[in-house]
Formats: sequence, C-alpha cells, structure tokens
Amino acid sequence: MAPDARAGFFARLGRPAVIVGALSLAAVVALYWFMALRPGTNPALVPSPPAILKALGGEIASGDLLVNTLASVKRVVIGFCIGATLALVLGALAGWFRYAGYVLNPIIDALRPIPALAYIPLVIVWIGIGEPSRIIIIVLAVFKPCVVNARAGMNEVAQIYVDAARTLGASRWRVFTTVALPSAVPYFIAGLRTGVSTGFLALVAAELIAAPSGLGFMIQNAGQYFRTDVTIVGIIVIGLLGALLDQIASRTGRALTAWSEVRREP
Amino acid sequence: MKPRANAECEAQSASQPPQARGNHPPPAKLAVQGLTHRYAMRSPPAELTVLSGIDLEIPRGQFVCIIGESGCGKSTLLRMMAGLLVPSEGRVLHDGALVRGVRHELGFVFQQDAVFPWLTVEKNVAYGPKSRGVPKAERERLVAQWCDAVGLTAFRKAYPKQLSGGMRKRVDLARAYANAPDVLLMDEPFAALDVQTKAEMHDAVLELWRSTRKTVVFVTHDLDEAVFLSDAVVVLSSRPGRVHAIVQSTLPRPRTGETRVSDAFAAAKRTLWTTLQEARARPLAHAPSGAGETKRIDPPNARRDRPGRNNA
Repeated sequence: MAPDARAGFFARLGRPAVIVGALSLAAVVALYWFMALRPGTNPALVPSPPAILKALGGEIASGDLLVNTLASVKRVVIGFCIGATLALVLGALAGWFRYAGYVLNPIIDALRPIPALAYIPLVIVWIGIGEPSRIIIIVLAVFKPCVVNARAGMNEVAQIYVDAARTLGASRWRVFTTVALPSAVPYFIAGLRTGVSTGFLALVAAELIAAPSGLGFMIQNAGQYFRTDVTIVGIIVIGLLGALLDQIASRTGRALTAWSEVRREP
Repeated sequence: MKPRANAECEAQSASQPPQARGNHPPPAKLAVQGLTHRYAMRSPPAELTVLSGIDLEIPRGQFVCIIGESGCGKSTLLRMMAGLLVPSEGRVLHDGALVRGVRHELGFVFQQDAVFPWLTVEKNVAYGPKSRGVPKAERERLVAQWCDAVGLTAFRKAYPKQLSGGMRKRVDLARAYANAPDVLLMDEPFAALDVQTKAEMHDAVLELWRSTRKTVVFVTHDLDEAVFLSDAVVVLSSRPGRVHAIVQSTLPRPRTGETRVSDAFAAAKRTLWTTLQEARARPLAHAPSGAGETKRIDPPNARRDRPGRNNA
C-alpha cells in the first residue's frame, strides 16, 4: 500500500497522479470546446460545455435523470447478483471437482466466444421486451467473465495448501470450502470486476433496443430528437456510474483479500 | 506443560509389554518395509527408480534424520511415510497398522511455506483440531498452548504476511503439534531460512520434541542440522535411493550453542560426512541390504536421559 494511503483528502489532491490526471482530462474538454466553437459548427449538434452543463441541470431538475439512473442501477444490480452467484457456484464446482468439470466445462467453453448481445434477438422472441429479458441479457453478460475466472482460480490452487490441509485431517469437502475457495478469492474478485463492467455495457445495449426507462433509453431517445446535449449528459453519467460500480467492486475485493501478499496498484 | 509431558512419557514406558523391556527392541513407531518406488517418465519414455528396497524402523520417541544428496528420494520417502504418496512396492506401518492415505496422527511440516495466508495465526493453529471436530473450548486451549510453545502468543491475530519467514515456520510447527499427531514428519522445513534463524528454529524444534516426546522424522541435506538434532541419521545413497548406513549420535543432550562448537560435534560431523561420501561413491555397486546385516536404529532405552535402563 502506498505510504500516503491514509493521508487526508486535500493532501491526496496534491499527488502528481491527481494533478496530471486532471490536466489530462481538462485537455480533452478544451479540445472538444475548441471544436465546438469553430465557425460553421452547428451548436445543436455539437453543444459547448456550458450548454451541456445546462442540459444536465435541466435533466436533474425535471427528475428524468434520477428516474433513468435508478432504473438502470436496479437492473444492473439484480442482473449482477444473479449472474455472479450462478457463475461463482458453477465455476468453483467445475474448476475443483473432476466430474463437475466434465459436465460443466463443455457448456462454459461453448458459451465463452458468444457475446451476450448476440442473445438479444432470441431473448426478445422468446420472452418479449419486458423487464425480465433486459435482466437476462445482463445476467448472461455478467456470467461469462465470472465463470471463466472462478474456474481458473480453482485450477490455480497451490498443491502445498491442499496437502497441508489433508495432512491436518481435513475432509475433501473441507479442503474445498476452507482451502480452495479462499485461495481462489483473488480470481473471483477479478471476475466480478470484469463482470460489473460487461454487465453495465450490456445494460446500456439492452436499453437502447426497447425500454421505457434507463440511461440507455435516455440517450437513445434524446438522439432521436437531436438533443445531443442530453445524449452527452447521459454518456457522462453512464461513465461515472460505471467507474463508481468498479470502485465498489475493487474496494470490496481488496477488503476480502487483505491477507494477500500480491502488490496492489496505487 | 513440562510435567504433563513427563507423565505421558512414563505412561508410554509403563504400557510397553514386558518382553520389550529386556534385550528385545520395542515395536517400531513407524516401519518401512521393502519400499521401492518408480516414476514413469514421458520423454524419453522410461521408468526411473527413485527408491529401492528401503527397510527402516523408527523407534518410538526418537529424533531421526534422513540425509542424502539431492535427488536421492528422501522427500519422496517422507511423503510415503505420511501417506501422501503410494509406493510402487512395499509398505509403511504406523504402530503396526498399514498407512494408506493421509491420517492426522502423522503430522507433516513442509519445506515450502504452507501456512494458510488467508487465516490468522490462531486460525491456522486451530485448523487441524477444527477439521477433526474438536469442541471450541478445547480448540481455544490448544491454540493458547501451542502459540505459547512457539512464542507467538503476541501474534495470534496477525496474518502470515505480517510475519517473517522464521515466524511462519513457527506457525507451521504449532499447527502440526496442535493437531495431536503421534509422529512428526518434517521435510527440510528450515531449508529456506538464514543461518541465525535456522539455529533458533533448531532450538524451538528440540524443545518441542523434548517436551512432547513425539517421534520426529526429519529430512535434510544439511549435515550440521542432522548432527545437531538427531538421535540417529539415516544416510541414503542416490539413484536409486537405498539405506546406505545408519549413524547413531553420541552427542549428549540437551544440545545448546555450546554443542555446535564442541569437538564432539566436529567429530560427529566428520563421521557423517565420510559416510555420505561413501554413499555417493558407490550408489550402484551396493550389496543388497548389506548382505544379511540389517541396519537398525538403536532403541532409545540404551542411552541418555533414562539412566535406570542400563542397569535394569
């Protein structure tokens, strides 16, 4: 852990990573602003940053932004919980018990190369365009990276810990629950973090197609009325929300693997 | 803890059958009979014999070292004693019962760091008892007892990553002893430690052995370690590994820092070194089991700290 990890908020603002990072973002905004201000640019299609801020204020004031964000968060949380639970259980079993692997590995490996979005037409035909089909798409998107990582983690359990547990009298089941599962936790976390972001990607895609609410719906709808400013607001909120979810996932993961000696990125 | 251990020791000798008290050796704690092991190699396809015709009897309560050059199969032999590996031929008996598969009575201390990094020190120590269904109150007592025995009471709540290499080995030892083993099998446990830490660990392991009187089989490639710790050293020849000789220790106990610099220590080390050179020089031209002469480890009652026995 970095020596100044416990430093106060203001002290952390002074770090080179923060200062340079902020300048880098500011440069991108400035470039965009420069393009928006060029003569001949249609301000309705390329709104300037102040116009975008104004649109953000309008969306907050009308309550649309909150409604759409909550609708999206609800879907992603439900989809993530279902997909991740299924993936961890099946991946752990497939990676540890030989016969569970024989049964599950072909299925996992067959699903692996198929993008979750490819199921959208099928899900719509089978289940319709209601809330369940949007959640199913997210479940599928979360499931894939989680199950692959969970299985890999169980394959990488160090033999020395298994031998140690067995010589101490642990049963096979106890070796699974107290040695294999905890030592694979770093892999589970990596899978869950990837799952959060792929689930979020799938969410927006699912909402783009047919949804009465959500951030995907919001940017799609605004685009149809040439409200580019609102679309950009939606994109920024999606980005912030994704970053927030990733932070939550990585902090939870770090707390769960406090015992690990692996060096952490600052 | 000391009086408890003495009582245990007396109980053991009292329970020995009468005929074992005379010139007959007491029954072996651990016996290896006609053990041979081969590995199948893939490329080139061949069979590699790593151990050949090993016969060995480890008497109760002894500290026995197994030494041999790298690749002689000494770790393989120890893993077979623990039931972690099945020999191609022959068998291992613990108290006369066939060892098949691991059993908690045969505690094992590994060369690598085998302390569970996701558990605190006390949970590591409690792991064996918990696996065997020992009730919580008794587990608490065992954890306190064995953390104290290895000097880790202050670190009970610490995670292994906060500990030094030597301290982790102490956790490993405490974990093995807390599981009430009958025999301790140690596979070069201190090979990765620096000289100073190693010497501290030697004192710790001898203290554990002295206070519990549990039989220890200790594999090493370090001559000093073997001489300092053992009652007897089994010298293996290489490729395939056979019992070349058994060297009984004449060093007095308790062994201290003084022992390490004594003339007797130097002499014992020289003897062991010479024997090891012989084992290395003629690994293949080896007479089958020394032409009828069975190499055996002397039972403990003939020597040291049981003065009454010689006159009996």
